[in-house]
Amino acid sequence: MRRATPIFSMNTSSLSIALVSLFAALIAVFGLIPKIDLPLGVPITLQTLGVMLAGCMLGPKRALQALLLFLAAVAMGLPLLSGGRGGVGVFFAPASGYLLGWPVGALVTGWIMHLLPHTTPRQTAIHAFIASAIGGLLVVHVFGVIGLVQIANLTWEQAIMGTLVFAPGDLIKCALCATVVHTVARGLPDWRFGG
Amino acid sequence: MGSLYSDHPTWLHNVPAGVKLFVLALLGAGVFSTPNLWVLSASAACCVLVFASLGQAIIRARPLLIGLAVASLMIAVFHGLLQQPLVGLVGVLRLLSTTLMGIALTLSTRHTDLLRVFEWLLQPLRPLGFHPERLSLQVALMLRFTEHFFVLWRRLDDAHRLRTGKTGGFKILAPLTIQMLVAARRVADTLHVRFHR
Repeated sequence: MRRATPIFSMNTSSLSIALVSLFAALIAVFGLIPKIDLPLGVPITLQTLGVMLAGCMLGPKRALQALLLFLAAVAMGLPLLSGGRGGVGVFFAPASGYLLGWPVGALVTGWIMHLLPHTTPRQTAIHAFIASAIGGLLVVHVFGVIGLVQIANLTWEQAIMGTLVFAPGDLIKCALCATVVHTVARGLPDWRFGG
Repeated sequence: MGSLYSDHPTWLHNVPAGVKLFVLALLGAGVFSTPNLWVLSASAACCVLVFASLGQAIIRARPLLIGLAVASLMIAVFHGLLQQPLVGLVGVLRLLSTTLMGIALTLSTRHTDLLRVFEWLLQPLRPLGFHPERLSLQVALMLRFTEHFFVLWRRLDDAHRLRTGKTGGFKILAPLTIQMLVAARRVADTLHVRFHR
């Protein structure tokens, strides 16, 4: 599947512009979609899932660009974060560490996805789960904890305990990401996961 | 897609976007480099005064202000419960200073002006192969497709509800992603034809 024939005949520059913009748009759409209630009433919002998907689908460089573009649009005052939040002020809030962790998380997810082989849809999905768990969950939460320590003045232990509350929901998002990757791998067999 | 920019004219609207961003960066670096309660109190008081001076324009920021109030309260209560009221106060004062000025910048600056500043800031990356002028094209594409994909999401959700009687939820994520990737191919084709690159 991956490393097979190139999927696009046109120059990669226009492809990059399109993919980066469209994934930034997808993450924005995930912010507009109302939260999804999972069984047992656990609500999840989808923007972190967008970070994982960008890494898995686009690879490290384009995923990083998509997230930087999205955050630049947020900084410009566009209300693209869930709940209609936006503007420079959100980068000083206690949860801003998570926001700043998104580009790095997408980069790491894409990098791991790029390194792992994708022979079958099932294998691709399993590797997407691993890449999402490391990049979209672990890296983003590390940045989130640093933000909580720096801005909310929590101790490291308190910040880690605080962030662990969200880990089960994010693990579910990793599974969702793997499911989407599995479907895309079957629906678009020529797609190059991980760039 | 609406912006959080306020059309109600204030004195801050006349200050160039680059200057506002620079002052905000200085303020952020300043308040996070000192734990001195007096300095932070003076900074927060100045920021509240500057913000209040925007008058009617701040009405548009009500949801952001509610978020700020909730975050401040949570920090204060949390540190209060841990018998660390001064640590909590330092956190709240830093948050007030930086977030209020961030909101003030957002209310008083058009996103196109900020875009120009970002493009200027990204100029040094040109030798590395980065094209700052692409930023405005990508922001425009992103905004256009945000609306497009939101409509697409609702259409898929409606179709799923008609078939099953339930909302689509995460079951329509995969079809949405596939349709988006297919759209990306078409857009890339169009861009290639339009810009020959």
